[in-house]
Amino acid sequence: MAIGERILATFKRSPKPPKSPLQRHETRWGLIFLAPWIFGFLVFILLPTLATLVFSFTDYSILHVSETRFIGLDNYTRMLSDPIVGQSLMRTLTFFVMAFPLAIFIPIGLAALLNSEHLRFRRFFTTFFYMPYMVPLVSAVLIWGGFLSPTGGWMNRLLETIGIQGPDWLRSTTWVYWSLLIVGIWGNGNAIVTTLAGMEGVPRELYEAAKMEGAGSFATFRHVTLPMISPIIFYNLTLASVGLFQYFLEPYVLFAQAGDPGGSTLFFPMYLFQNFFQFQEMAYGAALAWVLFLIILAFTAVWFALRKFWVYEAERE
Amino acid sequence: MTKHSQILLGLLVVGSLLLAACGAAATPTPSGPVTIRWFVGLGTGQQPEQLEAQEAVVAEFNASHDDIELVLEVVNNDVASDTLSTEIAAGNAPDIVGPVGVAGSNLFTGLFLDLQPLIDSTNYDLSDYDPATVEFYRDPSGALTGLPFGVYPSFIYYNTTLFDEAGLNYPPHAVGEPYVMPDGTEVEWNYDTIREIGMLLTVDANGADATSPDFDPANIVQFGWHTQWTDPRGEATQFGAGNFVDADGNAVVPDQWADYYHWAYEGIWTDHFIPNDTYLNSDLLVQGNTFGSGHVAMVALHLWCHGCYSGTDFNLAVMPANNGVTTAKLHADTFKIMASTQHPEQAFTVLSYLLDEAANDLLLVYGAMPARFSLQGDYFTTLDAAHAQGVDWDVAVAMLGYPDNPNHEANMPNFARAVERYNEFQSLYRGTEGVDIDAELARLVADLQAIFDSAE
Repeated sequence: MAIGERILATFKRSPKPPKSPLQRHETRWGLIFLAPWIFGFLVFILLPTLATLVFSFTDYSILHVSETRFIGLDNYTRMLSDPIVGQSLMRTLTFFVMAFPLAIFIPIGLAALLNSEHLRFRRFFTTFFYMPYMVPLVSAVLIWGGFLSPTGGWMNRLLETIGIQGPDWLRSTTWVYWSLLIVGIWGNGNAIVTTLAGMEGVPRELYEAAKMEGAGSFATFRHVTLPMISPIIFYNLTLASVGLFQYFLEPYVLFAQAGDPGGSTLFFPMYLFQNFFQFQEMAYGAALAWVLFLIILAFTAVWFALRKFWVYEAERE
Repeated sequence: MTKHSQILLGLLVVGSLLLAACGAAATPTPSGPVTIRWFVGLGTGQQPEQLEAQEAVVAEFNASHDDIELVLEVVNNDVASDTLSTEIAAGNAPDIVGPVGVAGSNLFTGLFLDLQPLIDSTNYDLSDYDPATVEFYRDPSGALTGLPFGVYPSFIYYNTTLFDEAGLNYPPHAVGEPYVMPDGTEVEWNYDTIREIGMLLTVDANGADATSPDFDPANIVQFGWHTQWTDPRGEATQFGAGNFVDADGNAVVPDQWADYYHWAYEGIWTDHFIPNDTYLNSDLLVQGNTFGSGHVAMVALHLWCHGCYSGTDFNLAVMPANNGVTTAKLHADTFKIMASTQHPEQAFTVLSYLLDEAANDLLLVYGAMPARFSLQGDYFTTLDAAHAQGVDWDVAVAMLGYPDNPNHEANMPNFARAVERYNEFQSLYRGTEGVDIDAELARLVADLQAIFDSAE
């Protein structure tokens, strides 16, 4: 039997049963109720996304719309000679290297503490660590700006009480990344809670078995807890990677569009934003956005490829 | 009609209404007055008293012109560029924009109407203007994109109380006058002198000045010098006019500018008579309004800030010289007609009205010195009434004779991008100690060259 015939036969072998009038009725109403969302998705997400892809191959400028031309890959090749692209990408990677371990290990550490049977007031601490996540990020960042202010900020006042002259956390290139890390750690509540939920889901029998085998608390954590919560770690790790490559709001709120001090917080997404809205080079900004998308996609693909080596998935057992 | 048909009909009606709402506005009827839109926001013009004056000007214009209806459109300065860009992109650009300075216009280079044909066809009288100030608005293509309206020379606002407390003589009020040191010796009024007396005027919380071995730079309560609210070009132009781009389009740092950045960096981090970024953003210096803070003895600043300080203990001094050359950076505001206007003649009628009949009322609220000779007489009388202690306004007039040419806000290829890059440099040398200025200048030139090269 030829391939085409086999395929046809496959289709013939599994004809879908005709929908009942009730099913058709429900499908129609389902589509009607979904229509606003579908419309919103098409008009406000899919269409602009595709539009940026098209723009990235043109010289579209908001001031000269009628003169827009197709320029092929020029916007992409231009990045190779644009020094700010490399600098901003390097800043993003530098900050990624600094922040990524904290974004992964701090939630694990704090969740382990919260999961400890010896901890008292557990609910209070869980709420306490989660609370910052509930504060709108813009407000939180503005408050942190005041907290880290070198003149009158609480951070330096606290340091003064132990005889330390605090630095200018936000206006010195030496200290600004550390300031951003502190702000970032404060907002780890969601990752802590998801990790904690993962730890609470580990079957008690496994701990009891480990105990009977003579495993200590560290060995139990290493060989039971970590493997069992590895899907949660993987989830946090993926989100942290995407979030750090898209790191924008904190530096934008603290330093407007300037990338102060000395351009040190002009991360790749900030530069992308500048191109769109400050330099009004929409086409180049669109190309930068697609490059960022591809970088994030590549990173995420790598995490997914490595997943089988360390993430425990019950269904594969 | 079935239930389903009713629903579908309802959806169609809603969809039609949405499409109608998104459609183009109705075309105006050909009869009736021509509407001219006046866009305010790229420069000053958003303060309550300015809004009131502008609205009064619009009302008076409309009352006296049957064929034109002037409509005011005011946008906050921080979103004005974006708003205007969006309006231009949507084919809905205003007819007139302003007041706008040099920097505010640069983003829209090439989009303003050449006024020369209208000046010629209407025989507009230019004899009331200094020809040099008219030429200031001629762009490289030869188009005259504006006419002089208001000018703001810069000079030094000095705090008399702080000078008195330090036992120092006041700085000179005329170019060429020497400065008299406390011991009676006369020295040239230059940036070495600024450094010397600036350090004497810089005081820490314990009362030690910046020349004292006990001086604590971490607890300064009073500074000697600052150039307020300007970018690195505005700072460096005081050492001599220049630009980051030469005539051939190459990125450069003029020698006198490199000297300035070294001088300023030493002044901030070694001699401490210039505030660093930490101090500039502190309550002590009112988040950068150093003149208004009353804690900086000498502030280089423009005439538009004469009301920035609520105290009466200030006067004006001339800018110091660098290598014998005095340079006082100049700001200038005007109104411009968009090249896209459908009604250039009517827009020019409005422009003429703003520059002539309405000029006095607007200049007063904008705080600008009139560019027209005939309007300058009353201007300083008004300022004297506002500052009864007696301010030597002749200094301001004198400084008009030493403008920075090229202007520190002059255009550059890929303007917004270049500005962003050199502002990064300013943030660096103001905020971080231990910077290698020469290395950073070399990096700046390399980056600017790439930015200029990427301009179409």
